[in-house]
Amino acid sequence: MLLEIDNVTLAYGRIQALHGISLTVGEGEVVALIGANGAGKSTTMRAVSGLRPVSQGTIRFDGEDITKMRADLRVVRGVSQSPEGRGIFPGMTVRENLEMGAYTRRNRSEIDEDMERAFTLFPRLREREKQAGGTLSGGEQQMLAVGRALMSRPKLLLLDEPSMGLAPMLIQQIFDIIVEINQQGTTVLLVEQNAQQALSRAHRAYVLETGRIVKEGTGADLLNDPAVKDAYLGVA
Amino acid sequence: MSEKASFRTSGGVRGWFGRQPWYVRAVLILFFTVLAYLLPYAGDVPLIGPQIITEGIDWPSALFNMSYYVLLALGLNVVVGYAGLLDLGYVGFFAVGAYGTALLTSPDSVIYADTGWKWLMAVPAALVLTMLAGVILGWPTLRLRGDYLAIVTLGFAEIIRIVATSTTTLRGDRGFASIPHPPGSWNGEPIFGVTDAIPYFWLGLTVIILVILGVRNLDRSRVGRSWLAIREDEEAAEVMGVRTFKYKLWAFAIGAFIGGLGGVLFAGEQSFINSQTFVLQFSILVLAGVVMGGSGNMAGAILGGVLISYIPDRLRGLSFGDTDLYEYRFAIFGAAIILIMVLRPQGLIPSRRRAMELKDREKEVAPL
Repeated sequence: MLLEIDNVTLAYGRIQALHGISLTVGEGEVVALIGANGAGKSTTMRAVSGLRPVSQGTIRFDGEDITKMRADLRVVRGVSQSPEGRGIFPGMTVRENLEMGAYTRRNRSEIDEDMERAFTLFPRLREREKQAGGTLSGGEQQMLAVGRALMSRPKLLLLDEPSMGLAPMLIQQIFDIIVEINQQGTTVLLVEQNAQQALSRAHRAYVLETGRIVKEGTGADLLNDPAVKDAYLGVA
Repeated sequence: MSEKASFRTSGGVRGWFGRQPWYVRAVLILFFTVLAYLLPYAGDVPLIGPQIITEGIDWPSALFNMSYYVLLALGLNVVVGYAGLLDLGYVGFFAVGAYGTALLTSPDSVIYADTGWKWLMAVPAALVLTMLAGVILGWPTLRLRGDYLAIVTLGFAEIIRIVATSTTTLRGDRGFASIPHPPGSWNGEPIFGVTDAIPYFWLGLTVIILVILGVRNLDRSRVGRSWLAIREDEEAAEVMGVRTFKYKLWAFAIGAFIGGLGGVLFAGEQSFINSQTFVLQFSILVLAGVVMGGSGNMAGAILGGVLISYIPDRLRGLSFGDTDLYEYRFAIFGAAIILIMVLRPQGLIPSRRRAMELKDREKEVAPL
């Protein structure tokens, strides 16, 4: 397993956000976390990327215990996150944002190669190369966030709500690209409110409710699960 | 990754300057540097000279005041402008630098018998002390964000002031006298004397130039890039692999060092310091200067530092009818700040990136 989260609890002050979550992500998989607002999806992501310390439990990545590891070292190990709300650096140009994604790397020719790959994945970014990140539209910013996260050559890509605020056409496109990235060899863990898309594109998925995992299964199974349909897909 | 490159393609003075060949730029820089060194003689320039120089205070002294204010503004600009950390107690570092010098050199110091150093010997020690103060303050507090950090730094400056006021070692109001001047002599006369402030201004100006060069190099390095990322989005910087805590601590230590330089110079010129020197107002004033001039941009910070020192000094000895304008300096000053912030919230000489960030933040506050 590339990522193993075992019985992790996490609290913001006195508010318990995660009550003993366990999940795994295998190499080469796309795994989705779905659930309502405040279910603990983003918190789980923050625990994995190291933005938030966990209270209990362990997180193992690539066979190594990273539970207490600093966030910057996790990036070096191969965890890369596209944060909630995109986290674009507004005053940096598109190219500079992408360069920041390669912050932990030194090999110039490899970085240039990956820059080219990001521009191939998102031709729109090439057109905007010299424009400040803050001037991009929501969709472009999302592309930039994903492209930037790829710049560290991650083993595991964490995507927090890649479809948030996007038009339906763009949502399709972003998910197509996620599948493409996965087929090129990057494992993906994604958090989504758009359960329909997430479940139909992911190999497996977990359903979170108030900080607990209440269901897990393949994407197809969960798509057909009556309870999931009722709660997250908007069809009875 | 350079802001310079984007200036070249842009309009305005900076764009024009960036497009010039290197020798034109070198000549211009040299010209303005020489001009800066000649500032003490500005009064001799016909017509405009007398308008510029201060009346209530000896002009070279006013220039020296500007030089340490500019140093403070440059240092605070590293902390606030580059790393984006709101520090309301910056004067604390100025105080540590000045007190460090005083303790090591003044005959009033309890350790004078053991040290009794010359000014120049005390400088490195005092600077190490201020950097340490920066790290000691930063270590526990830099995990805090935004407003919380601001409050803690405010507390820091107050602690320094109160300790200075009420401990016997730091002598409170009585202060430290006979702090030695910087060394050197010319034709048998000491260069740094009591009556002539010009050499002090030149010394301050030289230190400023060195600081500018140092900070510029840092800003263009990986350190500068890390600061920029932290300032624009700390969480995103962290998931890019920036060791945010380390770079914030660096910003604090470097800011403290520059503030300490100001303190060391100040102590060397004044020869006397006491606890009254380091009031909170001072911190706020320097911060106002940085924001007014253009936070995140050295030219802006320098202009801000000049203004916060020049405006009150220029008002000294002026009267309007029966009212002494110097009495109203803070009112006039406050009005100027408000005016500038309304008309040019990004500062007089803004950093392009900062302007972009401001716009971005507005979007967050008031989504369309």
